[in-house]
Amino acid sequence: MTGKQHPFLLHQGLALLLAALALYALSTGPYPLAVGEILRFLAVSCGFGDMPAERQALLYNLLVEIRLPRVLAAMLIGAALAVSGAAFQGVFQNPLVSPNLLGVLSGAAFGAALGILVGGSWLLIQTSAFSCGIAAVVAALFIARSFGQGSLLLLILGGIISGALFSALLSVVKYTADQENQLPEIVIWLMGSLSGARLRDVLWLCVPVVTLITLLCALSRWLDALAMGDDEARALGVPVALTRYGVIGCATLLCAITVSLAGMIGWIGLFIPHVARLLTGPGHTSLLPASALLGAAFLLLADLAARCFTTQEIPIGIITELFGIPVFLLVLRHVRRGWNA
Amino acid sequence: MTRRLCAKGLVFRRGGRTILDHVDLEFGEGEILALLGGNGAGKTTLLRWMLGRLRPDAGRVELDGQPLGALSRQKIAAVVAYVPQAHIAPFPYTVDEVVMLGRLPHRGLWGRAAARDTRAVEEALRRMGIEALRRRVYTELSGGERQLVLIARALAQEARLIVMDEPVSGLDFGHQTQLLMCLDDLAAQGIGILKTTHHPEHALFVATRVALLENGAIQQDGAPAALLTPERMEQLYGVKVETLTSTSGSKAFVPVFQRTG
Repeated sequence: MTGKQHPFLLHQGLALLLAALALYALSTGPYPLAVGEILRFLAVSCGFGDMPAERQALLYNLLVEIRLPRVLAAMLIGAALAVSGAAFQGVFQNPLVSPNLLGVLSGAAFGAALGILVGGSWLLIQTSAFSCGIAAVVAALFIARSFGQGSLLLLILGGIISGALFSALLSVVKYTADQENQLPEIVIWLMGSLSGARLRDVLWLCVPVVTLITLLCALSRWLDALAMGDDEARALGVPVALTRYGVIGCATLLCAITVSLAGMIGWIGLFIPHVARLLTGPGHTSLLPASALLGAAFLLLADLAARCFTTQEIPIGIITELFGIPVFLLVLRHVRRGWNA
Repeated sequence: MTRRLCAKGLVFRRGGRTILDHVDLEFGEGEILALLGGNGAGKTTLLRWMLGRLRPDAGRVELDGQPLGALSRQKIAAVVAYVPQAHIAPFPYTVDEVVMLGRLPHRGLWGRAAARDTRAVEEALRRMGIEALRRRVYTELSGGERQLVLIARALAQEARLIVMDEPVSGLDFGHQTQLLMCLDDLAAQGIGILKTTHHPEHALFVATRVALLENGAIQQDGAPAALLTPERMEQLYGVKVETLTSTSGSKAFVPVFQRTG
């Protein structure tokens, strides 16, 4: 395939596709705009040409204040989840792994529910989701380390235990919650939504997300060696423990950020890396950027569907699962090739 | 300078059990050292410790007189390579990509593939006679082909010493012999090989030295012809053994099969 021989061209193509999708997403909504007008608004904002001040103010409100935060959030979260999924799969030497393996999503779900239970502000809910997500992974690593020398199997077991613990705690919170208001709020929150994205939050979160994705990309060659097995990676000169915990750390932070911004959005972390691998092959140097671009594009599409299919918005977590599953089944035939199963 | 990897008084205990008990073992360039021992004797553990996996409970492993712990992983990897049993990788890397991993100690984390990396990969594929496989997917190859690819990776690594875990396991009769000839060839080119094996005959064919591992300790270390006697084999494997000599002079050990009923 051409993508495997010319990863750079493939990345450029995907980036163009993403840009086109973003423009389309900006133009779509209850008040449709022509793409040409968006481009003209951009030009005017950069100081080229002019348009009536009233029109410009309207477009500013519509594009920058209402639609841009969602479009940016969708791209950011899609990219973060896809890259963290690809990194988890590499570091655990297993293509069936999703970013929730070590319990980050379970922990974050509990944290968010707890925040809602105590009637906290939006910021408190976000912070609580983020920190409980990290806490769940730390618990998983701690369990694994207290039983052995950090073998893969024990890590996975630690993740299962920690994930189960936080799921149980989530149930406790749900049971305690007031059934009139809080319980529905928790349930809806857990289904994921981008409607709460504020421009300032999103712009601010761009920094850590882009930094973490870049860090993971910088480690790709070590990830390639690690995907072959621990002893081999070590013999190829790779600091195995440092790479493993570094990658787990970056990927976990990415996931926790997405949950705190938009709730639980499933499936992207599991299946986007598979689709990307079909295009680029398994080498992480080109797989990770391709996953980021594809994840961003997919979530952008899912968000479009979430806000345009019906008059009332559908939670985006439902859309990614409903659309992700058929896409995954479609590619499964080709994906299986590498598993030797 | 000839490279030597050398274990001195290596002790490793786990859960109150002594897995390695004051093991001394060394090999250098141009040698093939075969490590024999029954299941559970500690062969694979010893290999891992020769590669500096973790800190042993006592003793140390030295590369050219320097303790492995004092050397960076990258420095070690530029001299010592590891060839595991032909395994199934979880992701469909191409043969090219697998062999290129051998350049990791030389290219580092961010270096672009230079002309000499590409040359080293091509040279390694050529020496193993598998140029035709280079665009194939590693996971779709046969066990014998995968083993050749893993050895090619060690060659691309420009390793002078190669540690191999049962290189013929899972290979058919013909591929086993071809692989042994290939190891013989590598040793003739000056590469040192430490390998574990379950086949005493294979040690007779190609090994320049044999070490017998029993209960985590090296019982004997010496020339294959002197050490590989039916008596020693009986002691090592716990079955009666006879020796046959073929008309061409190769020796074979045959277990005496006794029906229990």
